[in-house]
Amino acid sequence: MEKYPAIKIKDGQKYFYRFSLNQRIQHFILAFTIVILVLTGMPLKFNEASWAPYLYSLFGGIQYAPTVHKVNGAILVGLFFYHIFYLIYVIRKYYIEPAKKKGALKKFGALKIVLTQKMAPNLKDAYDIRDLMKYLLFLTAKRPDGDEMTWKEKFDYWAPFWGMVVIGASGVILWNKELFTQILPGGVLNFLLIAHSDEALLAALFLFIWHWYNVHFSISVFPMGTVFLTGYLSEELMVEEHYQHYVDVMKKAGLEHEILPPHGAHGHESPEGGASS
Amino acid sequence: MNLTRAKKICFIFSLSFLILISDSVQKTSFAADIGNCLLCHKYPGLSRVDEEGRMRLFFINESIYNNGVHAKVKCEGCHTDITEIPHKAAKKVDCLVECHIIEPTTETKFSHKDVATFIKTSVHGKVDKIGNDKKFSEDYPSCKDCHDEPLYRPLSFFKKVRPGISEASLGRCRVCHKKDDFIYQFYNHVTTRLHKSRNPLNIAEMCGRCHDDSSLVTRHGLSTKAVFSYGETFHGKAATFLDERVPDCLDCHVNKGESVHQMLSHKDPLSSIHETNKGKVCATIDCHPSASPKLANYGVHSEFNLTQSPAQYFFTFFFIVLTGGTLLPLMGIIFLDLVRRFFPHATIGRRK
Repeated sequence: MEKYPAIKIKDGQKYFYRFSLNQRIQHFILAFTIVILVLTGMPLKFNEASWAPYLYSLFGGIQYAPTVHKVNGAILVGLFFYHIFYLIYVIRKYYIEPAKKKGALKKFGALKIVLTQKMAPNLKDAYDIRDLMKYLLFLTAKRPDGDEMTWKEKFDYWAPFWGMVVIGASGVILWNKELFTQILPGGVLNFLLIAHSDEALLAALFLFIWHWYNVHFSISVFPMGTVFLTGYLSEELMVEEHYQHYVDVMKKAGLEHEILPPHGAHGHESPEGGASS
Repeated sequence: MNLTRAKKICFIFSLSFLILISDSVQKTSFAADIGNCLLCHKYPGLSRVDEEGRMRLFFINESIYNNGVHAKVKCEGCHTDITEIPHKAAKKVDCLVECHIIEPTTETKFSHKDVATFIKTSVHGKVDKIGNDKKFSEDYPSCKDCHDEPLYRPLSFFKKVRPGISEASLGRCRVCHKKDDFIYQFYNHVTTRLHKSRNPLNIAEMCGRCHDDSSLVTRHGLSTKAVFSYGETFHGKAATFLDERVPDCLDCHVNKGESVHQMLSHKDPLSSIHETNKGKVCATIDCHPSASPKLANYGVHSEFNLTQSPAQYFFTFFFIVLTGGTLLPLMGIIFLDLVRRFFPHATIGRRK
């Protein structure tokens, strides 16, 4: 973790560390396989649509597209398990073992560490949602001071996480129906097909509307945020979305005097009268 | 040039023309056109408006007909009411007539009468086991509700497999058989019987003409619009993409080795889809050979229908609510965010 400096300065601009190379590769595999899975799955879900045969034929039609779907599904399931092991490894190495060495790991300490990870939902997320709604409804001019991971990112993380459990498990069973129906009744497959396809539609719409709005189409990042490629986020976006974390990082780096005021991302005067970047 | 010489030249040209014509006629019309019906019916525009006001086309494409299943049957073999030319409006063909073809294994006149016997005892028969007419017996199919003469099918240019006779295969026949006429006839016959002539989508569409008809489904108390619900499964969806490997209606509803005309009701213990037999249908060597009988409990004809499958209805409803409940608030936030960015400083009331 030390190999990534918290702040990088390039062309006089500060960039803040967000994602390691390992995490970026995981995201790339996730994004690539999901796009292929959607493109090879939706023509089957909406097989009567006029566009379905054309889209399906791009992947080899009914002869090959199901195989492309299964191969990508298998890669995604593999990535899911890798991610679980990755999480266990990181939490153990960087949080539990140091606490053990210090002798600070009490009863249920490991569980507490897991539940207080930066991706774990907490009460601040609820307050941030409330404050965001106040801001969006013009009840306040102050955006919520986001932490290292905002509620939006946690939503982006846990929604596909739940989705992968549902879609992945149902997909594996539907793929190997002969094996699983040695135990399960065949009627279960009807429910799994509904779960697989409807949850996939939800996941696809969630990602292509909500996630892509936040990382591609929002005015702050349009046409595309670069953090998923570089692993570093610009100061402007840190101020807009992660102000609380931004202040912490700047203080840790001894740059208190350079801390920008909140709301700087919109390029207007701050309440304190300072100009934004 | 004197008149006699001109006459001679005209005679030679006329003779050559006749020879050419007769040669071409010989090449194309080896079918059983003994009545010389093609004299008129070879013209593509031959048509008339019938008594019901419908345009009827009477053109016979000879080359397609010659490669069809009825190539060796005389026109009069089926159109038995036509005895003179020109003829009056022909009656509908009765598929059960005896035609002039001799069935080679019994040396009797060929007919489709056996099929009628099969149908009679099948689920599609018009009479019940006692011999009484079933309710709404007029709804039950006759031959031409399912079958057609390939001659009248639309030309299928899109098919990867070229229709018609494979010249390469004919070479094998010629090793033993000497007469091309025989080779064409039996090669055609055997290959037609060995392969499906229609893909699963065609079969499903054919069955759907009755089994997706809401009034028929209600009238006969059927539990599902069978082809619609088949279309909701992977099999049905793959069929719409013209997959020829997936099972269609006939693959499951007919006992292996029996004629499709012997299809039985699912309540009949001898039916392939009877509760006690349907496990074997899925587990055939061509489909899911390692499947246990439990696989067959999959609802092949489930619909999003509160009456037919309430559990699936509510399960689907849950996902609809989940999708709407997740996306609508998020889309609302996106909309508000877009609006807010136009007025970054504005607030209602006191700025905090």
